[in-house]
Amino acid sequence: MNRHRQWLLGLLVAASLAGPVAAFAADEPSAVINPPPTAKDWADMAKLPDWSGMWLPDVGDQIKQMTSNPTPWTDKAAAYIQHQMDDMKAGKPDNFFNDCLPEGMPSWMLISHNAMEVAFTPGRVYLFGESDSNRLRRIYTDGRPHPDDPDPTFHGHSIGHWEGDTLVIDTIGVVPQAWLAIGESVGIPNNGDMHIVERMKLAKPDELIDTLTITAPHVLTKPWTTTRHFTRERRRDFDMVEGICLEGEFNPAVDKDGNSIFVPQKFTTDGLRMPIKTP
Amino acid sequence: MTISSKSTARRATLIGACLSLAALAGPALAHHSFAMFDTVHTGTLTGTVKELDWRNPHTFLWVMADPKPGQPSVLLSFETSNPGNLTRAGWTRHTFNPGDKVQVKYAPLRDGSPGGQLVKTTSVATGKSYDLTPLPQPGAAPLPAK
Repeated sequence: MNRHRQWLLGLLVAASLAGPVAAFAADEPSAVINPPPTAKDWADMAKLPDWSGMWLPDVGDQIKQMTSNPTPWTDKAAAYIQHQMDDMKAGKPDNFFNDCLPEGMPSWMLISHNAMEVAFTPGRVYLFGESDSNRLRRIYTDGRPHPDDPDPTFHGHSIGHWEGDTLVIDTIGVVPQAWLAIGESVGIPNNGDMHIVERMKLAKPDELIDTLTITAPHVLTKPWTTTRHFTRERRRDFDMVEGICLEGEFNPAVDKDGNSIFVPQKFTTDGLRMPIKTP
Repeated sequence: MTISSKSTARRATLIGACLSLAALAGPALAHHSFAMFDTVHTGTLTGTVKELDWRNPHTFLWVMADPKPGQPSVLLSFETSNPGNLTRAGWTRHTFNPGDKVQVKYAPLRDGSPGGQLVKTTSVATGKSYDLTPLPQPGAAPLPAK
């Protein structure tokens, strides 16, 4: 047995003593990091709080916080934000989500107008969002650490653990281009090195609250703690609907072979949208 | 076209734009803020549905407005939310069909382009109105089962 295998075996033994937590050898590509869940792992899911149903965000909350809990922008960022606010008031909003790229973190959690669904599985919490191409956050609750050097992604790398009925989520590795937005046309790219800690819990039986502490040293002078409230609905008309942002760029059509296809949305020379069935 | 607006200037701009070729088009934006609409100076019109473009990230209702004597019919695009939030407000993709007569209350585009944001859409045949109902507020009881 070579030294590397001895090390891995030791890790496995330690993990088995520590309970039903997978063994992680962060620098060992062939290590099993997703072991099959046991019956106990599934049974433990039932002990978690009930976050089922559809969660609808309070879309007015961030607007209220602009005055009650202002973002500690750096001077440079504040000037940028003020310019956007002026443009918005003039009816010329800075539509930085117009490219249909994901809103990403933390903007999805802060400004989405659409529903969210939460799912627990052994070792994971998933957050499913409805809009901009169906958002997905995957939060590892199996005890793994962050990678030393995660590939930057729109939603970052998230690890979580339960403190009682509160899910504590730690997120790093967000692309620097992801907006720190406080409105659909008010925000600035985080510009890198962002770290987000969230505490999610039921404030009331049908109210979920996410408290986010956002550290973004290139645009904020200090960590900013902010909240988002979600209300639970269980009715059928509140169920999740697919939301593919790029759908708006294409129209349904039938090609010469009779196949149903999508073709690029037609625009006038002035850049205005044409109806699907141009009269 | 039957348009009543609180702003005569706005109405003139809108009608002027309607008479141009651009009257066949709406805003090009995908996922965007709604600050481009003038929610203060709303207007209403009646017309005939051309199509309900039920899609993400925003849904469009295309309406051929009733012509005024001596003026051509004009097609306007009215933008609203997305299938998810519209479903929650009672819409389906079949709520309005081509040929349906509708009365539309809208917030016009600030740049004078022909169309705006839907505020309320009423079926002339049934009298039933559709808008975006307010989402449930935190702390409030969930909406009752239907």
